[in-house]
Amino acid sequence: MERQEIKERVKKVIANVLNTDIAEISDDANFIFDLGADSIQSVQLIAGFEEEFDIDMDEDKAKEVQTVSGAIDFIAGYLD
Amino acid sequence: MTRRFQIHKKNLRNFFYPESIAVVGTNRQKGTVPGDVFINLLKAEFNGVIFPVSPRDTFISGVKTYKYVIDIEDPVDLAVIVFPSSVVHLALEQCGKKGIKAVIVISAGFREVGGVGKEREDLLMEIAEKYEMSVIGPNCLGVINTDSRVRLNASFARSLPHEGNIGFISQSGALCTGVLDYARAHHIGFSKFISFGNKPDVNEIDLLYYLAEDEKTSIILIYLEEISDGRGLMQAAEHVIEKGNKPVLLLKGGRTSEGASAAASHTGSLAGSDRICDAACLQSGIIRCDTIEDMFNIAVAYAYQPVPRTNKVAIITNAGGPGVLATDAVVREGLKIAQFSEETTDILRKSLPATANINNPVDVIGDARADRYKVAMKAVCDDPEVGGLFVILTPQSMTEINEIAQEVINVSSQYDKPLYASFMGEADVGEGIQMLRRNRVPHYFLPESMAKSFVKAYYFNELAKESGTEHVPVEDVDRDKTHQLLNKAIEAKRKHLPEFEAVKVLETYKLPLLPNGLANSADQAAELADEVGYPVVMKVMSEDIVHKYDVEGVELNIRSKEEAGKAYEEIMKRVGQYAPQARIDGIFVTRQIPKGEEIILGIKRDPVFGPVIMFGMGGVYVEVFEDISFGVAPLDGNATEKMMERIKAYPLLKGFRGRKARDLKVLKDTIMRLSQLAVDCPQIKELDINPLILLEEGQGAYIADAKLML
Repeated sequence: MERQEIKERVKKVIANVLNTDIAEISDDANFIFDLGADSIQSVQLIAGFEEEFDIDMDEDKAKEVQTVSGAIDFIAGYLD
Repeated sequence: MTRRFQIHKKNLRNFFYPESIAVVGTNRQKGTVPGDVFINLLKAEFNGVIFPVSPRDTFISGVKTYKYVIDIEDPVDLAVIVFPSSVVHLALEQCGKKGIKAVIVISAGFREVGGVGKEREDLLMEIAEKYEMSVIGPNCLGVINTDSRVRLNASFARSLPHEGNIGFISQSGALCTGVLDYARAHHIGFSKFISFGNKPDVNEIDLLYYLAEDEKTSIILIYLEEISDGRGLMQAAEHVIEKGNKPVLLLKGGRTSEGASAAASHTGSLAGSDRICDAACLQSGIIRCDTIEDMFNIAVAYAYQPVPRTNKVAIITNAGGPGVLATDAVVREGLKIAQFSEETTDILRKSLPATANINNPVDVIGDARADRYKVAMKAVCDDPEVGGLFVILTPQSMTEINEIAQEVINVSSQYDKPLYASFMGEADVGEGIQMLRRNRVPHYFLPESMAKSFVKAYYFNELAKESGTEHVPVEDVDRDKTHQLLNKAIEAKRKHLPEFEAVKVLETYKLPLLPNGLANSADQAAELADEVGYPVVMKVMSEDIVHKYDVEGVELNIRSKEEAGKAYEEIMKRVGQYAPQARIDGIFVTRQIPKGEEIILGIKRDPVFGPVIMFGMGGVYVEVFEDISFGVAPLDGNATEKMMERIKAYPLLKGFRGRKARDLKVLKDTIMRLSQLAVDCPQIKELDINPLILLEEGQGAYIADAKLML
């Protein structure tokens, strides 16, 4: 899958979980610091990514991912 | 003073008297730390501007939010960060860029969780250093300033406590909420209330120096679990007491002696870190408390009432039993039962029923009403012999509890003498107790607590009277030679110096030793014996022999050259039989010390307080009773004397029932020289002088054996 497509789908999940306008999500945005995710939403984001990309992520490592670009890289690793 | 200390000195006021605050990472969710911290500031009616910084919410409780702290156009004096720990560094970096110099990090998840948490905390400190910011926290409750000019509740405590003159500093945030609740129930007010959590930056020492200058604070209470710089804490407390004339009370968690290492020497095994903490408190004037209740009992006595000027106490009671208990407590605490003047007893005789006891403790009898209490209290308080008054009440059917409480309040406000009350019971006396507490009359459930609190308040007054003595270093020592000897041993990778080498080190500090030398032949021993003077004692020196007597390696009372030569041969022969593998350094020859009192002295290095001196009487006193005291080096003359006086057997040294007084002047000088050696030579890990023989007054003292560990 192309990186651009992963990015668009990642942002779609984020916008959906955090109830945010997709245009406001920059590539280097931090889920908590920039987008205001709380602890429940952080877990919802992981579930959302797994569902969107039909992958089963390592939960502990996934929790360490804090930014949009980090999420794209992390998910790309599962799709290679 | 360190660079960080200077930065904090500049920044600390912003924590307590900010004109504007940013709550960074807050949200609308009530009942959560990020949500409540902002609401608490509003609820306390903070006298300044509050900027909520929230990445998601556009407003909270009608107040416009900012996405980032750097978006705020106005200056910000204080930031309170409530973000999760993983992004606190991002918020702190922005605070630095914004020019905020005081930051409270309430968030948890740092050093206390280990691993990545420790790394996060280190990162915060790097950022704080870069922007010259001061940080309170992380992992804390926050900061409260009740000053009506500010009304600051930058914490997640339920509400702003009453305004008062007690400053409270705590390492534990959870304890703080319990303390605040207790204080509210007891009408105890605070000036400043600070929870500082992991304290990697601003710590108790910085806060003590700040509160020393704080006009709203007259007493400082500290709860600590970990002292990071023992000597620094002592100096800060001394500053508060001497310059600020404010008592410092310490409640320290973890009283177990985990610090007692399994060191080979007496000093090492006896010096548990908690005992050293006790000694450090006594030395610096810190009042150490055992429980929170104990701490507040003393705090209200000091904060609400005049400081006792004498230790003579009067007791007024309507019940005999509690009067007896109070009298016992007064005497047990070292206070005195005041002897009334004739004038006082005349007034009491005329005003009280014939069955009343007009002497101290005054028993106004079980049926006493408010008027009887009033006349007795006034008569007693008018007596110049009385330094303070304890009023005890038990609730009989005719006892006018609230009216008596009111009279106690009235008398308390009219006299410049401390007045404490104990209304015994709970249900019936409850309202009266609340009246007393609301009106700043300390109330204690037990008479024993009254006496204990009075004595601590009196102790502080006495301490404050003593002018602080500056430490004057002992100068007539040969530091170069000492370092030369110690460094040579360290270069040779030696861990321990035997007596014949330890004494060389001690000689450079002019510690009391008799002439001595090491012999490696019978002839040499005979010559040395002649030189040092008779009678002579000879001892085998070997790192392989721990107990010289077990191998018959000691000869006493040698009175001639010939005897000395012979003794050398005999010691070597016996040692050869008992310990054939032992490597022998030689035979130590020294003049025999006359009989005297055996004293044990030592140096130990405590991880918290640094070099520590131990003192006690030898033999059974130390072995069975552990009758020893500690002092944190450097010791001035005053601290040395106090340390000597702290052992129970001290009266024996001063002369007791036919026993002549010992040379305490030389003992004091020896301890001070030892203290100087400990400070000057960090190479010395431990030193054991066991025994020092202390002779009668004017005759000196001599070290009979010494071991030195490197």
